[in-house]
Amino acid sequence: MANNPVDELSQREEKKHVFKDSSFDNTKTNNGKKKLWRSLKQITAQERSLPWPDNSINYSSISAPPSFKPAKKYSDISGLIAKYKDPQTSLYYAGHEEFSTVRNLPSDIITGYLTLRGSYNPIG
Amino acid sequence: MAEEVIILKDLKLVPDKYYDYSQTLRNSKTPIVIDNGSFTCKAGWATSSVPNLIFKNILARPRKERGKKDGETLIGNDIANIEAVRFQLKSQFDRNVITQFNVQEQIFDYTFSHLGIDSNGSINHPIIITEPVANPNYSRLLMSELLFECYHVPGICYGIDGLFSYQHNGHNGKTGLVVNCGHHTTHIIPVINGTPDLINSRRIDVGGYHITYYLHKLLQLKYPAHYNAITPSRAEELLYEHGFLAVHYTDALKQWSDPEYYDHNVKRIQLPYSMAVLLTPDQQRDKRREMAKKLVEMNARKRDEKLAEDEEQLHQLLMIREMIEDGEPIEEVREVLRSHGLKNEKDLRKLITDLQTRIDRAKSKIAAASLSASNVDEHVTEEPKLRLFKNKIQLPKEESISKTWLKDIYKKRQDIIDKKTVRKQRRQDMAKRGTAASLERMRLISQLARKDKRDDDFGSRDEDWDVYKVINKEGGDTDSEEEQEKISELEEVLRFYDPTFVSSNNNEEQNPKEAHQLHFGIERMRCTEVLFQPSIIGCGQGGITDTIEFILKKYNDQTANDIAENVFLTGGPTKLPDFKQRVYRELREMRPLESNINVKLSDSPFLDAWSGAREFANKQDFHKYLLTPEMYAEMGGDYFIENSCSNMYCPLPEAVQEPEGLSEQNLEI
Repeated sequence: MANNPVDELSQREEKKHVFKDSSFDNTKTNNGKKKLWRSLKQITAQERSLPWPDNSINYSSISAPPSFKPAKKYSDISGLIAKYKDPQTSLYYAGHEEFSTVRNLPSDIITGYLTLRGSYNPIG
Repeated sequence: MAEEVIILKDLKLVPDKYYDYSQTLRNSKTPIVIDNGSFTCKAGWATSSVPNLIFKNILARPRKERGKKDGETLIGNDIANIEAVRFQLKSQFDRNVITQFNVQEQIFDYTFSHLGIDSNGSINHPIIITEPVANPNYSRLLMSELLFECYHVPGICYGIDGLFSYQHNGHNGKTGLVVNCGHHTTHIIPVINGTPDLINSRRIDVGGYHITYYLHKLLQLKYPAHYNAITPSRAEELLYEHGFLAVHYTDALKQWSDPEYYDHNVKRIQLPYSMAVLLTPDQQRDKRREMAKKLVEMNARKRDEKLAEDEEQLHQLLMIREMIEDGEPIEEVREVLRSHGLKNEKDLRKLITDLQTRIDRAKSKIAAASLSASNVDEHVTEEPKLRLFKNKIQLPKEESISKTWLKDIYKKRQDIIDKKTVRKQRRQDMAKRGTAASLERMRLISQLARKDKRDDDFGSRDEDWDVYKVINKEGGDTDSEEEQEKISELEEVLRFYDPTFVSSNNNEEQNPKEAHQLHFGIERMRCTEVLFQPSIIGCGQGGITDTIEFILKKYNDQTANDIAENVFLTGGPTKLPDFKQRVYRELREMRPLESNINVKLSDSPFLDAWSGAREFANKQDFHKYLLTPEMYAEMGGDYFIENSCSNMYCPLPEAVQEPEGLSEQNLEI
């Protein structure tokens, strides 16, 4: 495919991208400054600051609401339903077999599990 | 069956080919259909039945290195191995919205050039491109700017991928609910009589990416030893090969907690590994013996050669002596002597005696060697002696190895291990502020630091100073290397004298094949569960069914029933096994008893959005929905023409006060 000579030739030609407007420069603003791309956060923050009419939508208005059911707790290690929480590591665990595992985990793994669950709090 | 080991495929991407820009295409105004997803981009001519190009919507920009010219930017399927360039990957997407338009420009270059377009200065084909629900006007504005001002396209049509897919599956004009599960987000869009009700649509910020990410991290944490071997692409492969959705998660968990069920359903995944040659003691002994034999043979051969040489020389020298004794002419004798590097007769005589003694010695040696050759085996099979220890463990005489002595050694070892665990416990206690141990420590410190020391006799007794040992976080002593050494020595002694002894670090005995296997069990459904319970990964939003329930409550009973009768699933992750059954099960529980529920899976969850957009582009009245450069110039950059599958046009409202950012933005564009 890409190896045959005809394609290679066209590939080299393609590098120029003749179909583009050569005067178009997406890297600079009209004042010649470097263009900075706004992040989604900036864009939505700006959108939110505007007074949207009732019958309109914007990115933030269609965000799904939080669940009304309490979040279930699952063991961080095995994924089974967790009945207990280790006060020392604040990991959830399902039974006594897991407890010794929890206590013997190195701290980086503990932090890893907590971060994954979104409840890592370095302040304690 | 259960013991089956699965080998990872690690598929490599194949570069896309360049299509021909045929004369018919060149002269037609065939629309280009682009399903611009944050995972893959599907692009092709509206006349093709399947997308001409399907590639990952990413590019890899090699890092700039000094002294080297810039490497080529790799786009989409040019990247053969994503893991090799993982840290140089760039995407135009921020979640599901395009923000990096310089990256998008390169992706468009890639798309158009691979479609073969070579017209000068412009692209003479209208573009139909997908965008997310409620795409921010700012993002659309930049997209129109890029397509009109850089590529000079004659027209653009925007649409929502999930709605195109809905239409493609024959739901045109029907009431229903589109569940579009994407890479970064999941959209749930109610459709009333064919018209999307976007105001009541909702977006969950969880998608295929989060499943893969969660699985990737879970496996890494489960197998820290294979941290680097577990890559996102492998996690993705595992997900789509073996992942599924639990119809009833809690029940499924109970099943999995049964060891037998686990053994039957766990997938054993073989990671690549290199076979380290591990020899059994027997093999080691054999090897040693062979080596020794070889050495002995080599020595013997050398000795033989040397002997033969010496004998040959002796023979020649004896000939010369005979010559002299026979009274040959002196000139000739001199000549021969010189050729042998000798000066006179005396030298000759000396050399002869030397050689004779050497030959004698060699001969006796050979005789001795051949005699002992039969004993060689015994020599080398000798067990390696116990190493001499620094700490000199008293070794008993062979006869007196008693149980009590062994017990003693065991006890010594256990003592050290206990000491270590106590220390570890202490360290753990000290790491947290709330524990009794650290509270006690703080109490002691504050006592020491108290001001009123009128009758302070601290230090008069030696025991006073022990308090510093107590308040030391390490407890005064640490794990020393010496201790570790002692343990290993004790273990070696035990291993030598007690065949039943099992070392504490027996993991080295595991065979490397098994050591490189991942057990992919509960994770198979645990990772996909994030779509229904985003709380698992700490996302505050409700899951798919929670959100469906929320949306249905916004309608009257009749409409809600109609919607629930036609739930339509589309998007990559929905092809995971039992996705449909899961949604159905939860809807059944949520909806009134007698109501009808119908859940349908898209024919081809991955491609249907493109196909739907293609059908739309082939409609007779397609040109009516095209945004032209004139409209773009007149109506503002974020303007577009609404269609049955598009967003609703919500112009940016006039701010009460002129916001700084907006006016600046207008100036720039």
